[in-house]
Amino acid sequence: MTATTTTPADERRAQPPSRVREWLGSGALRDRAVLLLALIIVLIVAMSILDAVGLTSGRFNSDYLASTLIAYVPLALLALAELFVITSGRGGIDLSVGSMVSLTGVVFAMLYQQAGLPLPVSIVLAVLFGALLGAVNGFLTAYLGYPALITTLATFYAYRSIALVVSEQRPISGPEISEFYNAAKSVELPVIGASLPLVPLGVFTFLIPVAIVAWFVLNRTTYGRKLYAIGTNDIAAQWAGIDTRRTRMMAYVTAGAIAGLVGVYTVAQFASARPDAGTSGSGMALPAITIAVLGGVAITGGIGRLSGILLAALLIVWLNASILLVVPGNEGAQAQLLALGVVLLGASLLSNATIRRRQAGAPGRPAVPATASGAPR
Amino acid sequence: MTTVSHDAPAPQAVSMRRILPPVVTGQEIVLLAVLAVLWVLLGIFTPAFLTPGSIGPLLVQVAPIALIGVGMTFVIITAGIDVSVAGMIMVSAVVTARVLVGYDVPAIAAVALAIVIGAALGAINGVLIAYGRVHPIIITFGTSNLFLWLGLRVFDSSTVNGIPGTLEFFGRGAAGSTLGVPHSFAIAVVAVAVAWWFLRYAKAGRNLYAIGGNQHAARLAGIKVQPRLVWVYLTTGALAGLAACMIIATGTSTLDQSVGAGKELQVIAAVVIGGTSILGGRGSVVGTLLGAILVQTVVSGVTQLGWPTQLGFLFVGIFILIAVGTDLIRERARRRA
Repeated sequence: MTATTTTPADERRAQPPSRVREWLGSGALRDRAVLLLALIIVLIVAMSILDAVGLTSGRFNSDYLASTLIAYVPLALLALAELFVITSGRGGIDLSVGSMVSLTGVVFAMLYQQAGLPLPVSIVLAVLFGALLGAVNGFLTAYLGYPALITTLATFYAYRSIALVVSEQRPISGPEISEFYNAAKSVELPVIGASLPLVPLGVFTFLIPVAIVAWFVLNRTTYGRKLYAIGTNDIAAQWAGIDTRRTRMMAYVTAGAIAGLVGVYTVAQFASARPDAGTSGSGMALPAITIAVLGGVAITGGIGRLSGILLAALLIVWLNASILLVVPGNEGAQAQLLALGVVLLGASLLSNATIRRRQAGAPGRPAVPATASGAPR
Repeated sequence: MTTVSHDAPAPQAVSMRRILPPVVTGQEIVLLAVLAVLWVLLGIFTPAFLTPGSIGPLLVQVAPIALIGVGMTFVIITAGIDVSVAGMIMVSAVVTARVLVGYDVPAIAAVALAIVIGAALGAINGVLIAYGRVHPIIITFGTSNLFLWLGLRVFDSSTVNGIPGTLEFFGRGAAGSTLGVPHSFAIAVVAVAVAWWFLRYAKAGRNLYAIGGNQHAARLAGIKVQPRLVWVYLTTGALAGLAACMIIATGTSTLDQSVGAGKELQVIAAVVIGGTSILGGRGSVVGTLLGAILVQTVVSGVTQLGWPTQLGFLFVGIFILIAVGTDLIRERARRRA
């Protein structure tokens, strides 16, 4: 994106892309993290006031917020999986993450409970199995040229079907798996724990390690740079000597591995391996994609940051938890749907308006309508 | 869009074919062949399969998928997608069912009500997509949540019981078919025929291919892109409303909250198996009808063979990959030619 003719405004823009400068320069990304943070703060303040006035059905405090993090872990992880896939561009999306969660959960339970393998070996094998499922998606999409929506729609059906058939539609449980429940439940942190609320262990055993690795891969490795490159402009990336197929395939493999880990987590969370864990109701894929989009991942690829994902998932989980306190019972569960829809529509319409305003105001860049820049052929 | 003849096409002919969708696509011929093979095989291994008692119910189940598939084909031809179908079905179905239970309305009024509700919800999708300029998958994910919320509010945490047989015209019973042909399937076939004509011979229909091929170019060529898009999503909603009537009629007298669940992916599967390109600009409604029949044949066939019902969806996945794969191969051959 180096400009050949430079105006003073362009000169600033055309300097070597320092990552810090790039991040600060792209207002929408900064806005998104700030916007989400602001929404979270507004939510907490509003709920604290309602709590003080006594309009909530339960106590809204740090203990309650911390306890809801048990639902935060799978949601944030799967949204992170979608970040990799959607950022890889060319219509990248993964509808099959929920099915992969179900299938790897079943496989994990079979290895750990029924085959009696040690826990670490079972976890590693389950994650590798998830990566294999992702590799099928990746190979079909990156090497054979299937549109990602088609590939993952097909594997959504296929993996879900296999999970239900091999488990004979019965959840797998047993003493070992019941014990494994300890990996997800709330704990008191050592040393500083006494002054903090009880945080579900899954946050430390599953989410934080993955988030750190993902941050490092996305921001500090050549792979991360290649991923953003192919998502921004596939052909330019090809000319720059990037193996776009391999890079894209690895994004799907990563998503599969993360889904495999979530599969293991759900087994711990529910103390049994449910063959429909990731696909019951509207499934896990649609919320994950929603969170990713809410977190600022551009559906057209090339744009997306970990901070947005983590904040967006936090906002949704705490919003859902707050709704349950204010609107009790079934109506509360329904109002969560309304809230998710309104937040998603509001955020995407709003951010699109700001992007268009920026493009219209920026010299040297064509003001392409957002809809015209869809998936490249 | 493969040629049926093997002659090397003249350049002029190529450009004409790119503008006008072909009468019969290669995908449709492949699908017909696959369907024929499947039906013969199923006929051999399960003698009950090729009987009116088995084919009739199969076609009844195909009808709503094929009907919504017509709208979804329009949507996907414009390079869009609509994942809110399940929500639209739920709202139309539950409101219509409540009205049928509470008031003594004639069937025609109930059907009109369902269609109007579906069209209104579809219009919301269309306006947001056309004028909000956000990717359709995001908009319809969002509205899907809103529609499901609306539907569940109308359900009010219970089922709708004691639905009268007002809509038996669409049902499984004797009143639901003429000369062995289920009315709902006949309606779906008529809808497909009208849509086939519309896409091929009406200016507004051909415009949809232009929008899907290149929205920006279509706008510059003078096509009113935004009203067309609103209309396309509105149509999908209206058809989802009509399909909701069929779903009420083929169910029991009780409607529960799972109505419509998973239908959005089934419809998209039928459309892409039918050879419509998910990237837009190419597609046919006849393929969608065949795709819907194929999906239902596989699901019903697996059950009739005595295999686990869930195994059917593994084959649905495989068929999606095979169908789109053959289309990709022909697409590449065409580009090389």
